Amino acid sequence: MNKKHQVRGIFPTLTSMQTAIYLLIFIALLSAVGTVIPQGEKSSFYTQHYGQYSGTFITLLGLDHLYQVWWYQVLLGLLCLSLLLCGYKRLSQARSLTGVGSSLLHLGMAVIIVGAAWSLGYAKQAYLEINQGESAFLRDYGLKEGYLEVKKFNIDYYPDHSPRQYYSQISLQDYKGRCYEENISVNYPLKAANLKIYQTSWGWSMQADVAKGENKQRLSLQNGIAIPLPGRGSLEIKAVFIPDYQEDGTGLRTKSPYPHNPRMLATLLREGQIIDMVVLAPGESWTLGEYNIIFQGFVPYTGLTLKEDPGVNLVFTGFALLSLGLLIRYRNLYIRKAA
Amino acid sequence: MENHLLNICFALFLIGIMISLYSLWWSTEGLQKLIKWIIRLALLFLTIAIIARIVETGRLPFASLYEFVLAFTWAILCFFVITRRRFYSPIFDLLSNILVVGLLLAASFLPTEARPLMPALQSNWLHIHVFTAIIAYGSFAVSFCLAGVYMFQENRATVIELRPLDQLIYRLVVLGFIFLSLVIITGAIWAEQVWGNWWTWDPKETWSLVTWLVYAAYLHARHTYNWKGRRSAVMVLIGFGLVLITLFGVSLILPGLHSYI
Repeated sequence: MNKKHQVRGIFPTLTSMQTAIYLLIFIALLSAVGTVIPQGEKSSFYTQHYGQYSGTFITLLGLDHLYQVWWYQVLLGLLCLSLLLCGYKRLSQARSLTGVGSSLLHLGMAVIIVGAAWSLGYAKQAYLEINQGESAFLRDYGLKEGYLEVKKFNIDYYPDHSPRQYYSQISLQDYKGRCYEENISVNYPLKAANLKIYQTSWGWSMQADVAKGENKQRLSLQNGIAIPLPGRGSLEIKAVFIPDYQEDGTGLRTKSPYPHNPRMLATLLREGQIIDMVVLAPGESWTLGEYNIIFQGFVPYTGLTLKEDPGVNLVFTGFALLSLGLLIRYRNLYIRKAA
Repeated sequence: MENHLLNICFALFLIGIMISLYSLWWSTEGLQKLIKWIIRLALLFLTIAIIARIVETGRLPFASLYEFVLAFTWAILCFFVITRRRFYSPIFDLLSNILVVGLLLAASFLPTEARPLMPALQSNWLHIHVFTAIIAYGSFAVSFCLAGVYMFQENRATVIELRPLDQLIYRLVVLGFIFLSLVIITGAIWAEQVWGNWWTWDPKETWSLVTWLVYAAYLHARHTYNWKGRRSAVMVLIGFGLVLITLFGVSLILPGLHSYI
């Protein structure tokens, strides 16, 4: 077969509806498989759960990160091309409003896929945990120049103490020097020109002074996370915050989420094993061997997701085109009498 | 009160099933009318039950799987009542009644307590997203029942004309497809506002996309290859099977962002 024939062969295949339908169904089946096989685990996980052969097969084909694997994306690319060509064919075949609608909705889908690919290549995302009253340089997190300060973090609770909303009062100076000041919450991100900041998480951070002989160091302990103690030993300290400590002998409990009667439950660990444990009120100290630990204070930290995504507006344009196309394509369905 | 009203609905649908079973052999105009009024009465009780819940919680019943199933059942009944004015068959009555009984039964196993809205759900997008889902799923459900009627009637000597039935199924699927597209789009826009990612291949997202792709294949097969009748009806049955997997299978079995059971 010569080259000319090949080219002729590929073009009708891509524009044919049969290819499009096969692609749609094949991608649908594959996507379903991806929800059944857990994604993004270590390769040992798959050999353990699926056996040596199936596990190796899964990792070899990339079914463990299906939606990112190259051949899945090639399939999406082919679908995109097929959509564009089919849309174009419809437009040139039927110069009616229905044809325009059909072309628009196919164009919309292709625009969505292009936008998604753009995001995949150029979007940058970072997750930051910043204590109330502290700040961060965005450059340090792989984003454009910028300075972010968390002025206040607070939580609004329902009467049953389940959270109603999380608020971070932040100020941002972006890479062009423009300033933004906003009280963001879940569902209401800060939208700067190139950057969006989302309320994602939160927690308590405790400050403790650790002294060993003459050496004194201020540690910032995040709730539930063990960090090594200063010095050469293998000792670690883990702190858990109890905001409203209940002293009734029933164990370590909090009466409410509000810090009315705060305590720090400090645990000392060596190679993961608990050595000692103590409950400290602010200002109280604890001596263990050569170490003296003072619970100085506590502050909430906010977990923020920062995202620069140049493709998202294109995706939303695709959504608009798709919706408009659908409405035009099927506008007559409920007006026209049944054939 | 909500419980009592739902029990009454359940009983009415069971009566509906019995009468429609009887009508399969001895259909009379009187029985046709009786079922019509039984279903309308059940719809009225279900509406009151939903309103009672709205009053109790101070918000629309869109926040848990249980609430969604109630709203979904309500939408099916509305579509059923509208569709039944244009098309009558005792099998249609029977299948629709069985479907809603099944849904109410499933709902009775779900946690029913009304919880306050978690921060991620506090958005107007919740209302738009779930409202479009109710319309999409409601019309797919009724198209499913009609496709069942089609399969049942096809090889029998019957008074039912199959071509208008096929056309009716198609119209319902198109309506469902338009609204399913809107469900996915509004969900994506909302997800971008909450988490900063409009698509994360969350199981619910993925299965909605799978459903959308199968209905898209149905429409393409119909427009281009003139797939009508039986083959077309089979695809509608598969499509609604996927709707049910997305609704129950994914919510109850696969963990993800939509695990608001």
